[in-house]
Amino acid sequence: MPVGAEVYRPVDEPDELSSGDIAFLSLARTRLVGEAPPGESFDPIGRIAGFPRPGLLLLPHDREVAVDTMFALVITHACEIDRQKNLDATVDHFDCRLAVAPIVPEPAVTLIGPDGVDQTVSWAAIEANAPVASLFLPSIPDVSILAPGLDSLPWPRAFADLRGLATVSRGMVRADRLCGLAPAYVGMLQRQLARFFTWRDLARHDLVAAMVGRRIVDAIPLNAKGDRLRVALTADDGSSVTVELRTA
Amino acid sequence: MTRLARILDDRNLSYTAVAERANLQPRTVRQLASGETPMDNVAVGTIRRIASALSLPVAALLEPEPAYPGDASLSRAARLSAAIREVMWPATPTPYASPLESTTPDDVASLSADEFFADMPANDARRG
Repeated sequence: MPVGAEVYRPVDEPDELSSGDIAFLSLARTRLVGEAPPGESFDPIGRIAGFPRPGLLLLPHDREVAVDTMFALVITHACEIDRQKNLDATVDHFDCRLAVAPIVPEPAVTLIGPDGVDQTVSWAAIEANAPVASLFLPSIPDVSILAPGLDSLPWPRAFADLRGLATVSRGMVRADRLCGLAPAYVGMLQRQLARFFTWRDLARHDLVAAMVGRRIVDAIPLNAKGDRLRVALTADDGSSVTVELRTA
Repeated sequence: MTRLARILDDRNLSYTAVAERANLQPRTVRQLASGETPMDNVAVGTIRRIASALSLPVAALLEPEPAYPGDASLSRAARLSAAIREVMWPATPTPYASPLESTTPDDVASLSADEFFADMPANDARRG
């Protein structure tokens, strides 16, 4: 389990922005009127702890912009943030957008699984960065060690929720930046991002579509792991595909 | 913890005791004290009755205006300190969709970042 001293690094106000920066931000998202993540069933009036202080701007045709204010983690790669400057792009052509993931603190939430049941085991898995959609952020006994000048306050264990990505401007991150992630842990952020965006394996829709209507002439079990069985299927035209089956 | 909860705690008062004095339902007092119902979501009369029952001015029960990013009336350090208190330590947890979908870890969950990216070819060498 990663601990605070290995995960966070202090940042000074003039430091360059970087992947892994943590800042206090307002995040906007568009939605149908009344829709509230992470699901209407959790809080029908939209008072979601992980997405606090909603503000609304009505749009035509029953659409609205919801603005939530919370801490968030910059996920745009540091090289991408620096790239335009390195290429001598003029200020007029600078892209100010940074992608950020909202930070969900443990005291704010009771985690509910897909079956609607409280997940008491979730935090152990989140600490190990087992879920693909989260990056664990450990507690710190006193944030003023990382950010001198702040009150002596504890920071609870939390996770960056990759399901809630939004974009904000560089200026907003710079204005209310708290700290950053240590370089070694940015590697873990990158691993989680790669897992989150590719975790269902490469999409081989064309391959599967081409096999529809063909006769399966061979099926070779490859390996079984827990309730999962991998099987190589060969069609009558010689094409093949490996599928994973759940036996439970 | 809300201001009301802190006052009840300090005076060792139950929700029922305050509710009786204020002629309100205990549930109303509990919801306000826990933060489940924000003070600015109820009738002013309700807050007046609770304040009167506690012999306090109404202002003593109201939560301070929350900090917002970029609030120029606060220093950056004061803004971030207030934000940590309010956003990271709210009074009451609420249900939230867990990111954990399966208790069975997948094959790459235990890999370090170096192991995960070990065989990946460089794809950005010419991007600048």
